Amino acid sequence: MPNLQPYADPTYFIYLLVALVPLAIGLYFGKRIVWYEILVSLAFIFLIFDTGHYVKQGIAILVYSIWQFLLVSGYSAYRKKANAAWVFYLMVILSILPITMVRLGAIGIYKPEFTLLGFLGISYLTFRSTGMIIETRDGAIKEFKPVMFLRFMLFMPTLSSGPIDRYTRFAKDASSVPERAKYLDLLNQAVKSLFLGFVYKFILSYYFGQIIYPFFQHLALNDNHHGFSWWLIGVAYSYGMYLFFDFAGYSRFALATSYIMGIDSPINFNQPYKAKNIKDFWNRWHMSLSFWFRDFVFMRFVFLMLKKKWIKNRNTVSTLGYFVNMMVMGLWHGLTWYYIVYALMHASGMAVNDAWLRFKKKHRDQIPHNKFTEWFAIVVTFHFVMLTFLVFCGFLDTFWFHS
Amino acid sequence: MTDKKKLWQIFGPVLVALALVGLVFFLPFSLGNYNQQDLKQASVSFSANIVKGEAVKNAAFNDKKVNYIPFFGSSELSRIDSLHPSVLAEKYKRSYRPFMLGKAGSETMIHFLDMQEMPKSLNHKKAVFVISPQWFTKTGSTAAFSVFYSPLQVVDWLLNMDQPSQTDQFMAQSLLKQSLVRDKPMFNRMLHNVEDGNGPSKADKSALRLQRRALVRQDELFSNVKAVNNYSRVLKAAKSLPNQYNHQTLDQLGYNEGAANTKSNRFHIKNSFYNTRVKAEVKSLKNSQVDYDYRQSVEYSYLQTVLANFAKEHTDVEFVITPVNQRWAKYTGLSDTMYYQAVDKIKYQLQSQGFNNIADLSHRGGEQYFMQDTIHLGWRGWLALDQYLNPFLSGSYKDNDYTINNRFLSEDWQNFKPQDQAPQTFS
Repeated sequence: MPNLQPYADPTYFIYLLVALVPLAIGLYFGKRIVWYEILVSLAFIFLIFDTGHYVKQGIAILVYSIWQFLLVSGYSAYRKKANAAWVFYLMVILSILPITMVRLGAIGIYKPEFTLLGFLGISYLTFRSTGMIIETRDGAIKEFKPVMFLRFMLFMPTLSSGPIDRYTRFAKDASSVPERAKYLDLLNQAVKSLFLGFVYKFILSYYFGQIIYPFFQHLALNDNHHGFSWWLIGVAYSYGMYLFFDFAGYSRFALATSYIMGIDSPINFNQPYKAKNIKDFWNRWHMSLSFWFRDFVFMRFVFLMLKKKWIKNRNTVSTLGYFVNMMVMGLWHGLTWYYIVYALMHASGMAVNDAWLRFKKKHRDQIPHNKFTEWFAIVVTFHFVMLTFLVFCGFLDTFWFHS
Repeated sequence: MTDKKKLWQIFGPVLVALALVGLVFFLPFSLGNYNQQDLKQASVSFSANIVKGEAVKNAAFNDKKVNYIPFFGSSELSRIDSLHPSVLAEKYKRSYRPFMLGKAGSETMIHFLDMQEMPKSLNHKKAVFVISPQWFTKTGSTAAFSVFYSPLQVVDWLLNMDQPSQTDQFMAQSLLKQSLVRDKPMFNRMLHNVEDGNGPSKADKSALRLQRRALVRQDELFSNVKAVNNYSRVLKAAKSLPNQYNHQTLDQLGYNEGAANTKSNRFHIKNSFYNTRVKAEVKSLKNSQVDYDYRQSVEYSYLQTVLANFAKEHTDVEFVITPVNQRWAKYTGLSDTMYYQAVDKIKYQLQSQGFNNIADLSHRGGEQYFMQDTIHLGWRGWLALDQYLNPFLSGSYKDNDYTINNRFLSEDWQNFKPQDQAPQTFS
């Protein structure tokens, strides 16, 4: 059996696109061949996990899917009759239990065997199922549909690293056929995304990630003066560029595949390095993730605080909300000091940005606002983000503690 | 606009792109053009891309002006100093020039594969093969496989195969353990056939030829030799040598350079190597190699695959067996007895099949400034090797009488214990 890691090399695209042809022809003529869509999804997932050390992951994803199926279907049945907060929280905890165990296992706390529960894509599947539980509580999802649940959970194009879709949005697309004009538009976008993805992922990300980033790492490691080297600047910027092109390129592939399958998955990047402030940055960077956190962590936290009147000052609540939001996001990446510091930096950045905007509003007459200040803001934001990526990439961990 | 027109608008550019890619890959002219300077650089580039590909190798070995000799080996090849083979050949205008194939990690299996891309360059020609006993660990090491592997090697190997030999079957079995090979459906199927004794069919060969075109083009496009500049190091080292070759003068020069460059430590390891690679961990390395054992290893069978290939191509080949730095071996507790027994086993495998050109330096690691560092030849070691290489490479080609014994592919031989029985008892 061949082993095909998603979007890893040119041959993968050949296999994938050939497999999608019948589906595309069906959609073009106004018919969605659901059984075939499921078959292709399952086949390509199977090919990720079919050999060597991947087999364990394959079993893990199977167990995981059953677990989430039981939770979501069980909660959905319960929700029709009652709506106790503690049941909801319990379900959310049970739903994020697998990823929590994997993260704990990865740093050797408690039981390292927990990592056996992990598989490529676990972090992204968690958003799908946990999101469904939350949407069920809110009443956005009224009916649990087993087949649609599985189509959503095991939607192959976005399995390994997003973009993170919402069930209600996905189900709307997946249960209908786009009009021909709309589908032609999707195909057009698919082609564009695919080729842009090639440039990003196979050319730019390669140069930044495989050549320039290691080059600076090497220089920095040989030039460590009491925990500092000027080469770290090169490390930060090359990693920042690599991360963007790698992830944005990957996201493009996932989108292109979705579009061909007639699913208008949400976009993930919108020129993030042109952001004017940190909040703007998160509206443009890994958007499907930050919107998920905004809706399901930040907003809920803020509403809870205000509703229960635990904190009255709105500014304090939102500042606190930033920290809660970013910390959860940091911990989701993994339990290491540098993800936590990265989260704290971004949360502080948002809090400072809010304070500045309030200050600016009060002193509107004294503070200029023009093209120049806008560019200045973009430059400052970009460099701040690069600094946070230097922390995020984990090189400092090697540089300070393991070299 | 009609839907049909829209479809053209969407997929038309894709078709054009595919056609352009096809053009680049299948146009009949060659894209690899290497001048003398390129080949000189490539001969000491120690680049994995050159081991992987075939364009540069074959350009060098078919060169009309310079007689390039393939030097198969690993990390030792890159120890350029005043008496390095490339330097001596350059300075004393020898009739040959070494072309180095390999760097750290390129062990025997990798060389079997890279030889598949250059059968004509080995056929009735000379070669040098440097064996490092360090390769012969229990399970062998294929850690660097991905660095040196290219599908082109497998394609060339399969294309030249009709009825698989036992060597081919053994190699197919080994390759199927590598995910890079196994995960390619076409190779997976064909290699399983080879393992069962069936060569590629006619249809297989057409598919392989198609693959080959794309891979050769890729090789020509990406085997860039211009990026490295080691040949300037060779020229610089050559300048420091006396104009007349005189063994005694050169030996003294090697002694002096060795002494001057190894002052920082008692092991006579080159300062730069010692400071970057050894110094920080020197305490933990004491007695760290007491348990090392090179006497039973799968590598003996990989060596056999290379021997079979040399026999098939009638290559006139000189083998080199390298020593370890004795001062270092004492410190790390590496057993000399074990080392010599492994060497005896290797030599028996060579000699019993008619490979009698052997520069066995294995017992000479204790001579002053023979080694550049822990396990790599340097200064006086290179000069000692030249006493074997120069007569061999300057002399004319000889068609040796090799008789291949496939028993050396067996686990019996891999596990044979030279400490219990003389290798001569194995048959």
